[in-house]
Amino acid sequence: MPPLLQLTAVTKSFGAVRALRGISFDLQAGEVHALLGENGAGKSTLIKVVTGAHQPDSGHLEIAGQRLTALNPTSAREAGIACIYQQPALFPDLTVAENIALRLGKTTPLCRVRWSEHRKRADELLRRIGADIDPGAEVRALSMPEQQLVEIACALGASARIVIMDEPTASLTQSEQQLLFGVVRNLRAAGVGVIYISHRLEEIFALADRVTVLRDGESVGTRPIGELNEAELIRLMIGREMAHIYPDRGGTPGEIVLAVKGLNCAAGGVRDVTLDLRAGEVLGLAGLVGAGRTELARVLFGITPADSGEIRLNGKPLRIGSPAEAVAQGIAYVPEDRRRHGVILEMPIADNMTMAVHARIFPGTWLRSGVERRLALDYIRDLGIKAYGPEAPGGSLSGGNQQKVALARWLATRPRVLILDEPTQGVDVGAKSEIHKLIRQLAQQGLAVLMISSDLPEVLGMSDRIAVMRGGTITAMLPGGANAHEVMAAALGQEEGNQGAA
Amino acid sequence: MKQGLRTFFLRHETILLLILVAEWCYFNSVGRHFGSLDNSFDIVRHSVEIGLLAVVMTPIILTGGIDLSVGSLLGLCAIVFGKLWRDAGWSVGSAAMGTVVLGALAGGLNATLITWLRLPPLIVTLGTYSLFRGVAEAVTQGVDTFTNFPASFLFIGQERWLGIPAQAPFFLLVAGVVWLLVHRTTWGRSWRAIGFSPEGARYAGIPVGRRLATVYVMAGIVAALAAIIYTARLGQAKADAGSGYELFAITAVVLGGTSIFGGTGSVHGTLLGVAAIAVLNNGLVHARQPREVGGMLTGLLLILTMAASVLPKMLAKARPTGHATGRNTQSQTNA
Repeated sequence: MPPLLQLTAVTKSFGAVRALRGISFDLQAGEVHALLGENGAGKSTLIKVVTGAHQPDSGHLEIAGQRLTALNPTSAREAGIACIYQQPALFPDLTVAENIALRLGKTTPLCRVRWSEHRKRADELLRRIGADIDPGAEVRALSMPEQQLVEIACALGASARIVIMDEPTASLTQSEQQLLFGVVRNLRAAGVGVIYISHRLEEIFALADRVTVLRDGESVGTRPIGELNEAELIRLMIGREMAHIYPDRGGTPGEIVLAVKGLNCAAGGVRDVTLDLRAGEVLGLAGLVGAGRTELARVLFGITPADSGEIRLNGKPLRIGSPAEAVAQGIAYVPEDRRRHGVILEMPIADNMTMAVHARIFPGTWLRSGVERRLALDYIRDLGIKAYGPEAPGGSLSGGNQQKVALARWLATRPRVLILDEPTQGVDVGAKSEIHKLIRQLAQQGLAVLMISSDLPEVLGMSDRIAVMRGGTITAMLPGGANAHEVMAAALGQEEGNQGAA
Repeated sequence: MKQGLRTFFLRHETILLLILVAEWCYFNSVGRHFGSLDNSFDIVRHSVEIGLLAVVMTPIILTGGIDLSVGSLLGLCAIVFGKLWRDAGWSVGSAAMGTVVLGALAGGLNATLITWLRLPPLIVTLGTYSLFRGVAEAVTQGVDTFTNFPASFLFIGQERWLGIPAQAPFFLLVAGVVWLLVHRTTWGRSWRAIGFSPEGARYAGIPVGRRLATVYVMAGIVAALAAIIYTARLGQAKADAGSGYELFAITAVVLGGTSIFGGTGSVHGTLLGVAAIAVLNNGLVHARQPREVGGMLTGLLLILTMAASVLPKMLAKARPTGHATGRNTQSQTNA
């Protein structure tokens, strides 16, 4: 019998980024096949190729032996492929039955809505997966796992043969997870093929039949789960060489500049964070996407102020209620989303660079274009920003140069604490190494740097110490010399006792 | 040099200035008294109130907001001014001060709802648009008007001072102050930043709430001033004073090249916009056209000017050498 789904040598590039480099992958009927990999390894792109959201550049797909060059979302659905995302994509104001009916989208004569039929069908589907949900309830009133069950019911209703689950348990409690696992096992027993993506290794060992590990857009291997243990899995995920040269660390950290104790922010998903940051050090903040790293930065910068806990700057306790207050205290934050938060694309780079220092360089609120221009020219020269002049709009620059403009804005504030959020994301290799050198220089000048990064080699290569976050709190504090296994193990929540094997 | 000249002619303000000159020349040839000094002063007198509202609307629209309540607030302030003077027995000066305080409070109400409750400005000021007018009508019960103001007060609206209409200095003062704020201070810089990207401005440490509140309070204060000048010009205060002015003001601002989405625009553009509309409507009277034509042509003027401003840029973009476009956007941003 041919496999349900077979991908052969699929490649996909976005501009210069090669997201998939010839991946082959197969899914059998009645199996749970786990897909593993670091952030950016190519999992999402692979899923999007299977659901028809992306068309591959080369390679081909086979569904139940039928060869295709590409799918689109409609043909993927018709082929029996369904995807259940981490954030259910249901209409919150419609009822469960209406959502299911919409998804299954059968047309009736005169587009008449047959309410009773919708309800009956929804009821039947929900019963099949053992979910106790009222089809007449508004989706808004359902919990996240209940919504996921509705999604699964939709998939069943569409008689899906291939179900993709993208981190389905990320927001579930323990008992909800068990319910979901039961549903997954039922699907498998019914002959459905499940592609299961998760960062939680214990789930993969509990559910999966086989596992495929992706790294840098390539498949590192597909193994039956019985042949692997956790340490081996982690090694497969990160076993890459460090090609990039990082600047020397050097220098001894000074006084504690920022001391955070028991910091909580319910809205931001940060709980009980305790952290010290010293002058002259780069503290790397590692963790998986959604671990609460950006959220912590947002609390420290006053965007979502803390509910409780203590923040001390140079020993002085303070309350940070807004970014303006954070700036006044000498805390600078170069945000992750450069285009939305880091730089105002329509404004000249000179305006962007002076935006956080209005009070200092424009006394009495009067603009002084000479001073502004000089400051901009200085940073353009010092940071090697490629732009036709201080009047160039931020949006006309490349990603790396925009990032340098964002950095210049915050260096101009002469901060004591610099928080960098994914400082080299979407930046080309040359600019990346320049930014790394700059970060190190700043630390050597006595700045306390907190560097959030999902790029593991970057965290390992740049950090004097590494804090690892998981579930909104810091779960491990590792020395600068830590290796990738230790960081990954902490980020994935592996028990400390298992580390010896790694 | 050639590049600079082309940029100059592509600028929105230049196009508007040319339209204004064309209007002037045409009406001067058609209407016999159009070009007289008296008529010019007449145009000024009739456009000061809308001009004040338009000038103060400019920073609001620069932040990406809107204030639909300024016309209604003008009516409410006119009534309260009359009430304080006639019924409460305040002197004209004290009543004027009281009215300005009311304007500031009313603007503060808009500001609070917009920045504190984070409601959209369109909805908030649509609400206060009805609210302010409704209060004005309730106070007068729809019939009461205030007249018989002293001649010394009517002077502001009807006489000349140093040879120019007496209300003109007030307008010049407000226009000058707002121009400086928008184009020469960090306030204006912050307003633009908020207009382009409110989140981006917040992440840059700009106190977005306070900066936004300022523009709405300023609008309230200036609307009160406009109410006093309106009352002095007509010699009476009634509840329907200034109805529809908010739309004239917004039209003038948009005609003047300020983007309704915020960020781009200028106060001098707004002044040209006010002038183009005022000259058109006055000129039509001299050309013996019925009043309705004025509305029609104002609409056409807005649409054609915007088209004239956008088309060359689109054409330039269509060609591969789109350099002039970039420079032009630039000059508008800096203006």
